[in-house]
Amino acid sequence: MSTAAITRNLRAPDGGPSSGLTRERALGWGGIALGILAFLMTLPPFEVRSIGPSVVLAVLAAGLGVAAIVGGERRLGGGAIAAAIVGVLGAYGATRSGTSHLEVVVSWGALTAAMLRYATPLTFAALGGLVSERAGVVNIALEGMMLMGAFFAAWGADKTGTWVGGILIGVLAGMALALVHAIFAVSLRSDQIVVGTGLNFVALGVTGYMYVNSYGAQGTPDNLPSVPEVNLPTDSLGFIGQAISQLNLLVWGSLLAVVLVWLLVFRTRTGLRLRSVGENPRAAETVGIGVYRTRYAAVVASGGLAALGGAFLSIGFVHSFSQNMTAGRGFIALAALIAGRWRPGGVLAATLLFGFSSALAQRLPEFSPSLATLFQALPYVLTLIAVAGVVGRSTPPAADGVPYQREGN
Amino acid sequence: MSSVRPGAPAPPPPPDGQPEIALSPGFVARMTGQMRAGGWIAPLLTVVVAFFMGGLVVAATGHNPLSTYKAIFDGSGLQWLFPWTSGPDRDTAAINLQQTLLTTGPLILLGLAVGYAFRAGLFNIGGQGQYIVGSIAAVWAGSSWAGMPGWIHVILAMVLATAAGATWAGISGALRAITGANEVITTIMLNWIAIWLGVYLFGLGGPLQNNAQPDVPISNDIVHSARLPVFWGDADLQGLHIGIFVALAAAVVYWVLLNRSTKGYEARAVGFNPEAARYSGIRVGRTYVLVMATCGALAGLAGSLDVLGWQFHIATNDIQGTQLAFLGIAVALLGRNTALGTCLAALMFGALVNGTSVRNLDPAVFEPELAQNLTTVIQGLVVLFVSADVLILLIYNKLRPRRRARGGGAAGPAGDTIEVVA
Amino acid sequence: MSPQNAGAAELALELRGITKRFGALTANDAVDLQLRRGEIHALLGENGAGKSTLMSVVYGMARPDEGEILIDGEPVTIDSPREAMDRGVGMVFQHFMLIPVMTVAENLVLGAEPRKHGLLDLAGARRRTRELSDRYGLKVDPDARVSDVSVGQQQRVEILRALDRGAKILVLDEPTAVLTAQETAELAEVLRALRDAGTSIVFITHKLHEVLDVADRVTVLRRGKTIGTVDTAGADDASLARMMVGRDVVLRVEKEPGKPGQPLLELDDVHATDDRGLPAVDGVSLHVRAGEIVAVAGIDGNGQSELIDLISGLRPCTGGHVRLGGKDITNCTPRAARDAGIGHIAEDRHRRGLVLDFNLSENLALMDYREGTRFGLLKPRRMLDAASRLLHEFDVRGGSPVTPARSLSGGNQQKVVIAREISGNPDALIAAQPTRGLDVGAIEFVHRRLLAERDAGRAILLFSLELDEVRALADRIVVIYDGRIVGELPPTASDEELGLLMTGSGAGRVASS
Repeated sequence: MSTAAITRNLRAPDGGPSSGLTRERALGWGGIALGILAFLMTLPPFEVRSIGPSVVLAVLAAGLGVAAIVGGERRLGGGAIAAAIVGVLGAYGATRSGTSHLEVVVSWGALTAAMLRYATPLTFAALGGLVSERAGVVNIALEGMMLMGAFFAAWGADKTGTWVGGILIGVLAGMALALVHAIFAVSLRSDQIVVGTGLNFVALGVTGYMYVNSYGAQGTPDNLPSVPEVNLPTDSLGFIGQAISQLNLLVWGSLLAVVLVWLLVFRTRTGLRLRSVGENPRAAETVGIGVYRTRYAAVVASGGLAALGGAFLSIGFVHSFSQNMTAGRGFIALAALIAGRWRPGGVLAATLLFGFSSALAQRLPEFSPSLATLFQALPYVLTLIAVAGVVGRSTPPAADGVPYQREGN
Repeated sequence: MSSVRPGAPAPPPPPDGQPEIALSPGFVARMTGQMRAGGWIAPLLTVVVAFFMGGLVVAATGHNPLSTYKAIFDGSGLQWLFPWTSGPDRDTAAINLQQTLLTTGPLILLGLAVGYAFRAGLFNIGGQGQYIVGSIAAVWAGSSWAGMPGWIHVILAMVLATAAGATWAGISGALRAITGANEVITTIMLNWIAIWLGVYLFGLGGPLQNNAQPDVPISNDIVHSARLPVFWGDADLQGLHIGIFVALAAAVVYWVLLNRSTKGYEARAVGFNPEAARYSGIRVGRTYVLVMATCGALAGLAGSLDVLGWQFHIATNDIQGTQLAFLGIAVALLGRNTALGTCLAALMFGALVNGTSVRNLDPAVFEPELAQNLTTVIQGLVVLFVSADVLILLIYNKLRPRRRARGGGAAGPAGDTIEVVA
Repeated sequence: MSPQNAGAAELALELRGITKRFGALTANDAVDLQLRRGEIHALLGENGAGKSTLMSVVYGMARPDEGEILIDGEPVTIDSPREAMDRGVGMVFQHFMLIPVMTVAENLVLGAEPRKHGLLDLAGARRRTRELSDRYGLKVDPDARVSDVSVGQQQRVEILRALDRGAKILVLDEPTAVLTAQETAELAEVLRALRDAGTSIVFITHKLHEVLDVADRVTVLRRGKTIGTVDTAGADDASLARMMVGRDVVLRVEKEPGKPGQPLLELDDVHATDDRGLPAVDGVSLHVRAGEIVAVAGIDGNGQSELIDLISGLRPCTGGHVRLGGKDITNCTPRAARDAGIGHIAEDRHRRGLVLDFNLSENLALMDYREGTRFGLLKPRRMLDAASRLLHEFDVRGGSPVTPARSLSGGNQQKVVIAREISGNPDALIAAQPTRGLDVGAIEFVHRRLLAERDAGRAILLFSLELDEVRALADRIVVIYDGRIVGELPPTASDEELGLLMTGSGAGRVASS
């Protein structure tokens, strides 16, 4: 940047991408909040049975959105208008349906617990993606690494008789696949997306092959050791208390992992070097940081984390393995990574949102059994909206996806 | 070497919806550059390595790789092509080959659907969803309007399927063009949305569930007038229908489109260098939409061939089990995105799919359920090794002088080795 | 120390017969270099003479094929930057090796980070940055993001980082290429101070006057070979230039005064923003007449790129008007701008000017591939014929119409771009850095051609960072600073006059234009 650019910067202090909460942004966020409130007030425990107040709120929300757009904050303004529309539609649906249905579907404690469970595999995988992409390697093979984790955790738990053994073997399997990814993506400088796609097939084939070979038509045994639940005496502490009173150990593990990954990436020497490799590998090399070594480590760690997510699926959640059981979760995790702007906190927020949509999808059949299957598509639709709506505002590590080649020999 | 210098200052955010994660800049060029330099050898070597490693998996689980591959080959019916196959063997082989070609047709289309996107710098992993919406449209059109003249009905069903696929893929193209959303993620999400849409439509109580058996989640049957005519084999035993010619014709159209049309020229320019394309006046965003729509049209057409040619109805578990479209990726990569290469790669994978099918593979030699997963492994390895052209060419260049040396000559001159254009 | 060793011990760094090949290209051919302790030693040569490669070898980024490196008289092998640092070699690269999204302090400690309780000690990093900054008198703000500080400051961070790692030998690769005149003068001060404190400095450049200003001795490279080492005390511009290019330099292409006609390209108070949405072009008005070359001079990053984009329809014009031959073409699409008669020799031929993997006929057809097509089908025959004709007319060597553009030399690639743009018969031609990275012969070709096009009646708007080029070609020179035209000068203007305007110092004394 030249001095000219600096002076331009000084003249336009609000122009930067990381500008604070301007009036327009406040309007946008306010509109979004009102739109959500319009829907919330018709749900238990408030259960306003008339659509009127919601409509008023939604109109207000849309008004704020328009104001934000006029003020130049188009994205948040659009979000506010969208929230207003969704809010009024949701409120309409809620006021039209019977309260008994409503209370079954919208039981906040159960819904929150389910959200956390559905979010867990995504969180692990997205954190894995974060570590890898912060080092500059795009990991499309998260899906395959999860699948490896899911199968080998089940297989390992079966063979060793303990869930600990299952997790160990699952994580090792995920790391093994990640090592292959690293060899191709880092050393052979292959296109990282194509390598990842190939590895997803390999993982699908290998786990399917091993599954058929080991378990055939019977499926995994019913007495598969599973990761224990953690019981807390918090039932009386409102819906949050109910939600966390009985959660799987790995659900807590995923929340801990968010903190640990944040510490690692942003507060340690390793993390600084990791990020420097992802931003400008040549610069990292000139100060003596091993680019290849860092990228290998990051990708392998990424495989371990994604495999933990898979392990939770098979021996923490479903208690069995089935072929291709990850069902695109690796890609939803990738979307969460983008939506969360490559930061652990943002990633958690995004995976919770996707988790919530899955939890909701599980409960909506209460209203219409035939449409129920259609609700299964909800998390995918949401992901689609997220990647379409959020990108452009989020900037990946500068060298993300770019193979690095040392100069000379 | 003109690979992007990672040390150079970061370029400004690219316009026209370049996503966070995209195919690496040199990849498209490498795929075609290598075609110029390496000819057929690199793809062949890729296949050999993939099958070899697949064989290791087979051997590791206590089976004999050679007899397994022999049984798969027998199941594919390819020995029909050998003049010495005769008598009942030849009849069986003919039936098997019809099956193989039955799969080859849609695979050609699915490969082209990936290949055209690749040439424009896009990665279409959404063949599955586009295939599904195509088959949904075809089954709906083909099971409605009984009494319409046959050829009009067939063409109408195929056109609708094509349009459905184009629309579905066009969503990803438009999202990429407008918002920069990465097409890898959006196409995969659209796959799952298509799956659940299909399960809903044909499921119990769904709007397109069949009229006769309310407790079976399956569509109505395609009426006889809308079925594709069989020209080889028994129409009642899934003989070979004329869809294969539709696919071959599409391959010719693909060649013309890519190499001889202005739209293909624009697509290639965008694939090689979107910035230069934009600068020279090509509308990059619109090209993305058009290319994706074209790809979706091809995949949707593939769906209609299967529905109108031999499936004649769709059950919900068919939809969930549709993996054929993913093979299109391996087909396109192995065929180097060329029309002829795609046809040959489609034949190979068609043979592999049918050679490992429950119907064709001798379970005494190898369990078909295992073999189908083996197909997936080989498919993945092919994609993996195609991506690692550096590795394959390294192997090739290593082998070459050694072979010469064995023949008594000196190591080959440097000019003989294949260089990766990166 | 015995007297025989005195000569060797005086040398901080010695290179003996360094040869480095990249494929068929020999970047360094038995190069010798002797760097004395506590001197500033310039390494002078044209672009592509092998200066940067030589220093990559010293810094362990490239392994020499032959030759020997001696540090303090001892032969060493340097296989990685880490080893180079351990041996006291520090490097400041032409493209700074900094992480833009990180702070100055984070960048400074990267690779040798302070730790506290196993975590990164950011407070310690800031402290260390301040200490270094004070000790060497190089002011930097430890908490500023590198992307937010000036290029001069970024360079200081690099120098401080090298010193932090204990560099006794400091190599600077083209350090002044991105600096303003003021910053260059400051850098020279810093280097002299470092030298006086005992640091040995290699200063890579291709600018003669800098060598004479800053360096004690100079080694000249030409085409990968050492031509010689001389003291700057007895050297002058002419002698160094002769060593550098191997003959007496006549850089000026003979030029008749232009015969300008009616104004063709007119910009009226145009505005545009950069990629981050900040104002970059801030009310530029200028006109170019038929048969005239107007050069826009300025330091890189003062709105030139945005102005080019704006005229050619690649960037929205947020205010004002662009007219071509009286017709308003403000905010039209790139294609419409071309159809209206704007030709555009792109700033970066690899990124924008060419599709490197297309063959020459496809590249030459990029603007007119749709001409005469029917049913949306290309006319390959027509494209090939047109290409043959253009390749001949513009003397493009090393390829036929079906050769991929990638395999051509830079000069010939640029000829292809120019051929395409001129063949479109534009009224106005934008030439952005038309000779960047070309050798002398190709530069001469481009210059002659641009003058010929001027004389054919085109309006040519030239953007160039090379003042020599600006003066050689332009009929009028306008200077751009911070997105505004700050003055107009005749081609006879001196470096000083131009320099003052380009650095904003002359603003306010705006000549009428």
